[in-house]
Amino acid sequence: MNDAMSIPHLIINASGVVQAVMLLLLLGSLLSWVVIFQRSFVMRRARKAHRDFEDRFWSGVDLNELYRETPAEQETLGAEHIFRAGFREFNRLMPKTQSPQAILDGVQRSMRVAWSREEDRLNLHLVFLATVASSSPYIGLFGTVWGIMGSFQSLSMAQQATLGTVAPWIAEALIATAMGLFAAIPAVIFYNRLSSESSRLLGKYEDFAEEFHSILHRNLQGRGDNAAG
Amino acid sequence: MARQRRHVGYGLPLTLAIGLHLGLLVISVIRFPSADSEPPNQAIVQATLVRAETATDQAQQAQQQARAAAKAEQQRKETQAAEQAEAEAEAERQRRQEQEQAAQREQAREAAEQAEAEAERRAEQAAQQEAERQRQAEAEAEAERERQAEEEARKQREAEAEAERERQAEEEARKQREAEAEAERKRQAEEEARKQREAEAEAERKRQAEEEARQRAAEASQSSLDQAIAGESEAVANAQQAEEAANGFINLVRQAVEQAWAIPPNVSDGAAAEISVRLGPSGELFAASIGRSSGNSAFDRSALDAVETAAPFAELRELPASVQREYREFTLRFRPGDIR
Repeated sequence: MNDAMSIPHLIINASGVVQAVMLLLLLGSLLSWVVIFQRSFVMRRARKAHRDFEDRFWSGVDLNELYRETPAEQETLGAEHIFRAGFREFNRLMPKTQSPQAILDGVQRSMRVAWSREEDRLNLHLVFLATVASSSPYIGLFGTVWGIMGSFQSLSMAQQATLGTVAPWIAEALIATAMGLFAAIPAVIFYNRLSSESSRLLGKYEDFAEEFHSILHRNLQGRGDNAAG
Repeated sequence: MARQRRHVGYGLPLTLAIGLHLGLLVISVIRFPSADSEPPNQAIVQATLVRAETATDQAQQAQQQARAAAKAEQQRKETQAAEQAEAEAEAERQRRQEQEQAAQREQAREAAEQAEAEAERRAEQAAQQEAERQRQAEAEAEAERERQAEEEARKQREAEAEAERERQAEEEARKQREAEAEAERKRQAEEEARKQREAEAEAERKRQAEEEARQRAAEASQSSLDQAIAGESEAVANAQQAEEAANGFINLVRQAVEQAWAIPPNVSDGAAAEISVRLGPSGELFAASIGRSSGNSAFDRSALDAVETAAPFAELRELPASVQREYREFTLRFRPGDIR
């Protein structure tokens, strides 16, 4: 194989637009991989933290103690964040109102807010991955079309068109498509994987919130009975 | 509960992503060059000239080669013979020269001996004359003395003094003669040496002249050899030119036939037909016949049609006359390439 057909040579000899497209795609691929790695780490840690917290929560520890374990100013994540938000609201509302329904409504609202923040945190940058996955094939295709256009324009000046004169141009143009696919395929795969993982985690948070809510509800039910009695 | 850092930074992911891309780049650079190679550039339609050289042509070539070999052999022999003769002549000349030199040396030695003998003889003669003269003088003096002794003792001293003077003069004359003889001898020796030198110079001149003549002869033979070689290479170049022209003709025929060829549909890849073609002297088609059928009659007919359409091949007349006849009969092989 001659040197003129090697990939670096083709990239260097490409026209300006095709080179720009290639650069864009390379950047997209690079950033999408950054997102892929970063999100993977985040997901793994969130999964592990959730497991730890659930073990702790269901180990029979007193909820007040669990709440006091962490200083209030420290930011917490995941299910713990939801628990703390709900418990803080519960503690605040308890002395102010006698109505269990009002307390439970407030707790649920604050937990929903916390859950929404968690969702936002987990899905951060996944949209970028989706964008790269869906747009980079088109960008690469644009580069290819542009390159082939240029090749035919220059071909019209040539005396005779053999496969040998056309081949380098087309190979050069097709590199753009290859790069687009190269950026898009991992982005698609990891977008699906990461978003499913994030929704699974969010589902677990929701389950936890419901369980916590039911615990509080049980406690308030007893208190309401006491108050009524 | 163990508090772990829940925020994940971007440093490590960035490093990993860049490393991944660099790794892929390196792999593509290293491995791609040795991956798939371009398919060889194939002609779309392959109509190959199979037999451009006739048997007579091959025989001619063999003959030419044999002739060239014989010629080279002969030349080598000639040059060898010439060298041998030259060497013999050289030896002969040297021998003669040596003889001459020996003779010259002999002559010189004889002359020197003669001169020496001459000088001795002269010296002897001079000595004899001297002795005679002395004897005479002594006899005279004796007679005088006797005569004087009888006459007067007065004149005796004078006579004695006279004799003494005479003797001295005699002595002087003798010395002078001796010196003259010596000078004569010296001159003769010098003469001898000069003659010898002249003879040597003469011999040297002769030898140089002979050397020059021999060189001239060698140069002449060399130049004739060069001329022969030049002629030979010119002939070879002419033959090559003819061959190139013939190749051009073959290509033209092939292109013309390829362009005229309409391949019928559904022909198998392996089909190959050979068409024997005979041309007239100006390139017109005399006869085209199927030499070897492909088994597909439509294919055979298409090949035949292609040849008939492409004829006449007027380029035949542009060939050198010597090779024209050999290209008036050839075989074309038709094979569908990768075109469909």
